[in-house]
Amino acid sequence: MKRLSALRARTPGDIAFSVVLAVVCAVILFVTIYPLWFVAIASISEPRLVATGQVTFLPQNISLFGYEQIFADERIWTGYRNTVVYTVVGTALNMVVTLPAAFALSRREFRPRRALMLFFAFTMFFSGGLIPQYLLYRDIGLLDNWLVFVLPTALNVYNLIIARAFFENALPEELFEAATLDGVDYFRYFLNIALPLSKAIVSVIALYYLVQHWNDFFTGLIFVRDYQLQPLQIVLRDILLSNQAFAGGAGGAGGSGGAYGQDFADQIKYGVIIVSTLPVLLLYPFLQKYFEKGVMIGSVKG
Amino acid sequence: MTLVRERTGLAAAPAGRGTPPGRAERVRRHLSRYWQLWVLLLPAIGFTAVFAYVPMYGIQLAFREFDFQAGLTGGRWVGLKYFEIFFDSPMFGTVLRNTLTISIATLVVGFLAPIALALVINQIVNATRKRFMQTATYLPHFISIVVVVGMLQVLLNPSNGTVTRLFSGFGLDLDLLGDPDLFVPVYVISEVWQHCGWNSIIYLAALASVDTQLYEAARIDGANRLHLIRHVDIPALVPTMIILFILTMGGVLSTGFEKIWLMQNALNLPVSEVIATYTYRIGILGNQFSLGTAIGLFNTLINFLFLVVTNWLAKKFADTSLW
Amino acid sequence: MMSRTHRAGAVLATGALLLTGCTGGGDSSGAADGTVDILVVKHGLTGPMADMGWVADLEKKAGVKIRWEEVSADWSQKKATMLAAGEVPDLIVGGNAVTNADLATYSSLFEDLSDDLDALPNVQGMLDSHAELAAMATRSSGEVYALPSYRRYWPETISRQYVNQEWLDNLGLDVPTTWDELFDVLVAFKEQDANGNGDPDDEIPWDWNPVDPAGFAAGQPTMLLSGLGLPTTYGGGQGYVVEDGKVLNFLVDERYREVIEFTHRAYAAGLVSKQVMTQDYSAFQSVGRGDGDVAKVGFSWGWTASDRFGARLADQYTSTAPLEAEAGQSTPVTWNYDTENFSPNHIVMSADTADRDGALAVIDAFYDPEISVQVLWGDLGTNVERDGDGYTVLPPADENSDPSTWKWTTTLADAGPHWIRDDVDVEPPADLAEATEQSEPLREALANVDPDTDIYPFKYVNISTEDQSTITLNDTTVLNLAMTAFGRWVTEGGVEEEWDDYVAQLESAGLPQNVEIYQRYYDEYVASRS
Repeated sequence: MKRLSALRARTPGDIAFSVVLAVVCAVILFVTIYPLWFVAIASISEPRLVATGQVTFLPQNISLFGYEQIFADERIWTGYRNTVVYTVVGTALNMVVTLPAAFALSRREFRPRRALMLFFAFTMFFSGGLIPQYLLYRDIGLLDNWLVFVLPTALNVYNLIIARAFFENALPEELFEAATLDGVDYFRYFLNIALPLSKAIVSVIALYYLVQHWNDFFTGLIFVRDYQLQPLQIVLRDILLSNQAFAGGAGGAGGSGGAYGQDFADQIKYGVIIVSTLPVLLLYPFLQKYFEKGVMIGSVKG
Repeated sequence: MTLVRERTGLAAAPAGRGTPPGRAERVRRHLSRYWQLWVLLLPAIGFTAVFAYVPMYGIQLAFREFDFQAGLTGGRWVGLKYFEIFFDSPMFGTVLRNTLTISIATLVVGFLAPIALALVINQIVNATRKRFMQTATYLPHFISIVVVVGMLQVLLNPSNGTVTRLFSGFGLDLDLLGDPDLFVPVYVISEVWQHCGWNSIIYLAALASVDTQLYEAARIDGANRLHLIRHVDIPALVPTMIILFILTMGGVLSTGFEKIWLMQNALNLPVSEVIATYTYRIGILGNQFSLGTAIGLFNTLINFLFLVVTNWLAKKFADTSLW
Repeated sequence: MMSRTHRAGAVLATGALLLTGCTGGGDSSGAADGTVDILVVKHGLTGPMADMGWVADLEKKAGVKIRWEEVSADWSQKKATMLAAGEVPDLIVGGNAVTNADLATYSSLFEDLSDDLDALPNVQGMLDSHAELAAMATRSSGEVYALPSYRRYWPETISRQYVNQEWLDNLGLDVPTTWDELFDVLVAFKEQDANGNGDPDDEIPWDWNPVDPAGFAAGQPTMLLSGLGLPTTYGGGQGYVVEDGKVLNFLVDERYREVIEFTHRAYAAGLVSKQVMTQDYSAFQSVGRGDGDVAKVGFSWGWTASDRFGARLADQYTSTAPLEAEAGQSTPVTWNYDTENFSPNHIVMSADTADRDGALAVIDAFYDPEISVQVLWGDLGTNVERDGDGYTVLPPADENSDPSTWKWTTTLADAGPHWIRDDVDVEPPADLAEATEQSEPLREALANVDPDTDIYPFKYVNISTEDQSTITLNDTTVLNLAMTAFGRWVTEGGVEEEWDDYVAQLESAGLPQNVEIYQRYYDEYVASRS
């Protein structure tokens, strides 16, 4: 591959660089992975040992109790299903709404773009608050409706700005000129040229939206009361937070289940992360290949 | 040629024509030229108008007494009363100072770290190892805050935490959870640890679009890999960096609520009480919508101000900006 | 080849078509005849309502079908939006699920039950049985929006004081009765191998419940105020207490200062766990459970020995009487006094129900004698059995569980509406029995506490929204200063030098204003009871 060959070691300086790079990467890896490894082993170790610092590199007193508890809850499966649906449909809508808009805003000859950008950016900061939103959704029938997970979040302005920046900088103007010799057709340019060359940014935005949908628990919390519609995050948050119930107060208060419950709580706490993030983690490597294919702009040029 | 004129938007008016085109005429011309762009924008504008602008009337709650019987907009107008309550509170100065300290520290470190990480990862030659590094570093992003703080409690435990032991191995006896001076570093570093990998994705995507011919050319001119980073990679990232910097400046008064709330204890309280936690405490006994909205509005106003200023500066000095 | 956008559009369209068939929800507001919608706020451990046998009894007694909406987490956020949008299900059930503040702000959403009492004989009976219950339920203008619960067999305090008897025996020491004796015992614990495992350094002489920046709770050093004759309730909270009819705040009281001085002395001598200020609750409990058969903590406060130290080590500990600050002092010792048998706001009714009679019937059914017992302890047959005219609470059917966890898992427990009548005998479960038994040494001290005059009636006064905002606003500053000072003084010392400035700071932060407000409500309450 062209780029990589350019980086291959050629001089002793390069070799030294490679060594330093390797060391730096190893440290980064350790610092990042260790806590995650810790989470994984803590999810199957005896909670008391975890809390007193006796679990460092290997699990102790292995028990799958946490996972048993999580998967015994059949709401998990409904939750998974719902989340997958909302994420797929939601992300698809996001792409349809965001990318064309980002492209349009990236055209420098389009004068209204400044005002429009302000129109969008303003909403990142100022919002009417939860109650007006709730009333609006109620009035248009979005409450207790699966569409509430998809429609209100159709556009994320942050992602819009990033996509626009990419279109502005990564697509050379010559391409546009060449494509519009016979007359300006933005649709055709966008669909046939700009998009195919922007696989990197499309993947990134898709990933951002995907994760936003995947992690969304707030929508379900406030706007949905029917448990059949709830996504995974709500189910997990229920399990997780309810087991944290003891963390807040004194053990007394009429026998709040005290520390016996606490035993379960901690294992579940760690198990929950694994359960909720595993699917997304598995997805990312598939998207990564788009980053590398990149834009072969150099071959288009002259 | 038509193309140039199209793009610069100059009307094809022969010299000497009488009156300049009227308003309606200009709009029609604009639409005929750019209608396609408007179509592309329509969904975005539509969704924003409905879901963001329609509910915006709720902001006035910051200036009204919340009276449930009278409805959301029916309460008595009290102007800046709740803002004054907030500003006059003895906690205001402390809370603002803490928020700014934590925020700005997180902002600065949190802005630079992903760039550095992206540059490092980009240098990895072996595709598989590169992919592995990328995946590994963004994993922490998905861990819920409750768990992150729980992990901090265990790993930074004064007597038997792994990290504490590591530090004392180097001769540093640190009370990582109790020492108020260490609260901000611990907070910032754990934030960066959690989100650095994820935030570097956008930079990696930008680096992936760097023209490979540039590398070749630079190599031929005798550049070593550090030079490549300095003269090829970083310039390629600058436009993205600027946009992201403007956006992060828009978060200057927004610290996350939950993480700080979970990390607070009696020892670090002087530095850990921020606007978000303070608002939660006041609201906790309930239903202080007006005060909560007022504080929230104050928060976002300052954020927006910073964004506008940074945007203006970027436009002036770097020719890249949001609008 | 379809471009990406086209593909996305196709997915979207197909998805939408496929899924419109699967919309859940639909409208659900108790419109159907004979159905009552109940939103129940459960404890995290509690299982599904469908698994609770007594629900069928409830439905039969009330003659309705119940549709449950179950909430275990993030209730306050959900509630805020629901209430502000004016949406209330037929009934809301849960321990203080709807607070007095909510009732004040949203009163028009809730049914005033005071004029429905004819349809609620059980409720009427309960409100008549104890004056406190009527006080809790009635707002200052006479309406009754939310109903309380009443149970029996809870001890008069949620905290007991424990010292490791085995350690005392190993070292030949007596149970301490004063602060100085405690100090000496703690020193012995620290320096010698009290737990007999060969390591003299692994003992934690004194550990307490993590202190939250929002105020004090049970099992924290404020327990020592008892030694100076100042009774607290629920650990002291934000510091407001009443003494001889006068309300004061102990955060600026000399006795609190003495407690801090002693605590700091102990901390400085290494007698307190180094994690005491930073650990979280789960770590605190874990440490208390020691290591297998070896105990780690010497002196602490807790609900019961089993709860605090685990079943395995519970027998090593004895509960002790409160410590006198000074040997032979004249001030009688008191103890933290709690009112666990009374709790407010367990059930509210919407002002706008379709089936009013059905909802009222459900409310009254909750307070039916047998249903109440089941709501609190669990189903008849599995958790509870009839015993003559009374009942016996059975040990947990799950051997690995303990009575408390079992109760919370299988039924609404303390969170549900219930009235355990005074004339019904119940053989309490093991954890309550243990708590009562271990409260023996506190009997004398508790007798020195007159709940009518020595304890502030927090549960029974109804503070107006305006006053509550003032209190909260001031308290946020006051507690920020006070809790920080607490942390600093215990760990680093300095209470002698800084005390006067500290008191001045708190007073200028609005503390006197709050005290005055609380005094006003106290005087009104006393007047209303005479």
